[in-house]
Amino acid sequence: MVGVRDADASSSLGARLPRFEDGPLVRGRGRFTADVPPARCLHAGFVRSPHPHALVDGVDVARAMSAPGVVSVLTAADLPHIPLVDAVAVPGLVRTPQPALAGERVRFVGEAVAMVLAGSRALAEDAADLVEVRYAVLPPVVDPRTATALPPLDPTLSSNEVYRGERATPGLEAAFAAADHVVEGTFSTGRLTAAPMEGRACSATFDPVAGALTVRSSTQSPHLLQRKIATCLGMDLAAVRVLVDDVGGGFGQKIPASPEEVAVALAARAVGRPVLWVEDRRENTVAGPQGKDQRVELALALDADGTFRALRCDVLGDAGAYSFNSASALIEAYLAAGLLPGAYRIPETGWRVRSVLTTKAPIAPYRGVGWTGGHTARELLIDRAARLLGRDPLDLRRQNLIRPGDLPYTTPTGMTYDSGSHLATIERAAKLVDAANVLPGPTADGHYRGVGISPYVEPSGWGSAGAAESSWSFASHDSVRVEMAASGAVTAVVGTPSQGQGHATSLAQVVASVLTCDPRRVRVVTGDTAGTPLSTAGTRASRVATVIGGALLHATERLAEKLALVAGHLLGADPGEISFRDGRAVAPSGSVGLAEIATAAVADPAVRAALPEPDLTATAFYDPPATYSNGCVAVVVDVDPGTGRVDVVDAAVVEDCGTVINPMIVDGQTLGAFAQGVGAALYEDADHAADGVPRATSFADYLLPTARCLPRVALEHLESPAPHTRGGIKGMGESAMIATPGAVACAVAAAVAPLGITVTHTPIRPHELVDPHRGPAR
Amino acid sequence: MLPDHRLVRPAADPVIVALTVNGEPARMTVETRTSLADALRDELGLTGTHVACEQGVCGACTVEVDGEAVRACLLLAVQAEGAEVRTVEGLAAPDEPLHPIQQAFTDHHALQCGFCTPGLLMTAHRLLTERRGLDEHEVRTVVSGHLCRCTGYQGIVDAILHADRAWERPDAPAAPTPPEEGP
Repeated sequence: MVGVRDADASSSLGARLPRFEDGPLVRGRGRFTADVPPARCLHAGFVRSPHPHALVDGVDVARAMSAPGVVSVLTAADLPHIPLVDAVAVPGLVRTPQPALAGERVRFVGEAVAMVLAGSRALAEDAADLVEVRYAVLPPVVDPRTATALPPLDPTLSSNEVYRGERATPGLEAAFAAADHVVEGTFSTGRLTAAPMEGRACSATFDPVAGALTVRSSTQSPHLLQRKIATCLGMDLAAVRVLVDDVGGGFGQKIPASPEEVAVALAARAVGRPVLWVEDRRENTVAGPQGKDQRVELALALDADGTFRALRCDVLGDAGAYSFNSASALIEAYLAAGLLPGAYRIPETGWRVRSVLTTKAPIAPYRGVGWTGGHTARELLIDRAARLLGRDPLDLRRQNLIRPGDLPYTTPTGMTYDSGSHLATIERAAKLVDAANVLPGPTADGHYRGVGISPYVEPSGWGSAGAAESSWSFASHDSVRVEMAASGAVTAVVGTPSQGQGHATSLAQVVASVLTCDPRRVRVVTGDTAGTPLSTAGTRASRVATVIGGALLHATERLAEKLALVAGHLLGADPGEISFRDGRAVAPSGSVGLAEIATAAVADPAVRAALPEPDLTATAFYDPPATYSNGCVAVVVDVDPGTGRVDVVDAAVVEDCGTVINPMIVDGQTLGAFAQGVGAALYEDADHAADGVPRATSFADYLLPTARCLPRVALEHLESPAPHTRGGIKGMGESAMIATPGAVACAVAAAVAPLGITVTHTPIRPHELVDPHRGPAR
Repeated sequence: MLPDHRLVRPAADPVIVALTVNGEPARMTVETRTSLADALRDELGLTGTHVACEQGVCGACTVEVDGEAVRACLLLAVQAEGAEVRTVEGLAAPDEPLHPIQQAFTDHHALQCGFCTPGLLMTAHRLLTERRGLDEHEVRTVVSGHLCRCTGYQGIVDAILHADRAWERPDAPAAPTPPEEGP
């Protein structure tokens, strides 16, 4: 481990602690949504459109209603509600409402048209087959480049283009005019799906006496879901309670409120019985929110010596059928443009961004959002520039990377990188894969090797300020509560559920670092909007460590001040003299343990008499300043020119997320995101055929990387603490998913360049890499 | 129009399946079409067996049936009549320490969300019951029968390699046959 200080006994920050949440999960005693069905619940099965685009002429539910076990069959007409609407307010964005169940028109294959409620999921699916929907098929809108030539998907729209924006620095054109070289390219990032191992799932129970709705969901954003459901159902926010326990992965797909979640809530209220929906893999693959899918045209202006002068992009995003609620049609193309310069000094930039509706599942956040596609395109272009200029790609990057002396560095797109180790991470990553000794051209076995070096910046820890630097509106409002019981046990209550990120451990380490106690004494509680402080955004955008960690530092410091008052009374010391060591309050006159302090605060009449409010609860709010993580992914690939097979044979990730709370968890996030990045580059494909029908419907055709697809990845951490966030903490959950597809694509591009093959999109398909001079395979 | 082949399936009489689960006799009342995974979850409350693809690809629902690691989504509950079934809950009782494989998974950060974990634990348990002295390539080959979306597998591979050394077990033969080279 390079650069991470040793975690000593007095500091729980930086300790490689095994996770507290693991015990129940490895014993098979987690609580996922499907594990806790409400008593007497009905099971929902959705009737979904087989057409990408059609008018719904009628729905006949009579046969389904009489099928065994069926209690109700509901259509849009049965469930009036306020539709879901994109919450993002960027000037010029057209927001399209999305109903829980499609009414007059279906806009993608898999869109729900009706809902069967039955005694079991199997019976609900039986009856769903009997619902007769009459469709009048309309032409699909498949290719985003021609989307504006087709009639709008929503008759209230003037066009399928829901956003168009342009921005440029004043010197852009002059920089291109004066450039010695201009290198251009068009690159596309294919449509992906997050594919959490647990699909979406929710249950809803309506209490007609209290007028209250309880929803249990596999969500990343319980407060957001609460707000969306309350709005859609016309209920008071306080009458909707959202519960979350274990969530089997999210990766962004579970940020938005799903139409299905709204439908389940509506149905529970309408029929007066609890309703449970557990998404199956086919539904998740076809109808769940998808990710990525953008086309990036780039032009880079360089001096003769390779210095980057200007970068221009034209990004076209495929939003799918709706500008999706809480995610937006802008989540891809617009964010890609904002991070256009990446980790490089590029004085002038310009961008044009368009986002269009198509008849595909809506685009929602997927780890790395638009940053992945923009980053991949830029890195492929830089490699192309290096080849054209006869430069070593690593050296060309080194020449143009942000240097320590440049920091803080403000990009022409308006992001201020607060700190970082851009040069150090690229040097280290290149060394770990021995990039200097990966020689171009065929190896002894006739395969081709290539190295890809992909230095990244991740806008992390999103609060209002970070979002504003991406010209994005974002309701960042996060509070936390820390309480100490009479036993000295600490409870930290937060509004951000975990989908595997290990918050129960890392956030406990944050709290324990202030109290100098054992992190095992700190229980992190989340997952109930009735009891957790507000987190409007929830768990997303690599923000929990920074935002919630920072809020917990502050709240725990406030709790420590209260403890010092009690301890001062007990020790006959001035509270200002109290410090904390090894879980004890220490004064010159002696020391007292946390449990004794807490017991005294609760039960000691003398303390009660001396301190009017011996309360051991503290809250804090935090909306952090912008901060940026950085690092570098380096990979070596081996391409078989006979079959086009690509093997990633070596890889390294060197990351810098400021203060590391738990390096084991950072490793895990990095390795997981790296694997997803390899999948995005080589295997995963949620493409649609020309008729608008999705090609992948299951794990048999949506190929996730397996253990045999991945090399052992070398990991190192450098630490450049954020100068302005509490504790110096930055976020890092998406880093390797931003940079890995670009690393793999660059490595493949380098490998096959001697064959005259260029790489312009991900996923890279094997047939594109077969040596054209070899003739047919024998 | 409704295609003719879409017929309502007749509601079948439920079937009682008697079997042994985690060493205890158990009875499940199921439809003949009910998968073993659904029956374990819904009839016996053993919700540690997770269902993630229902077509045998991902391995999340893996359990042991008569000493073989099987995908409980691909087996009908009625096929388990008289069988000895072990689920993840059977690796260690709630009041017992973790099984060495479970301990290795937590020690090596082999899980994040934990959804795929029970299936991997059962495959690892079967593998290490039958074999010892595995190398990384072999472990990766076996693990490649499972999908995990969180970890990138490195921690899982390390955990199984560690458990191979740490789990004191009687019967595993010392001279394994390497698996066939696959893609």
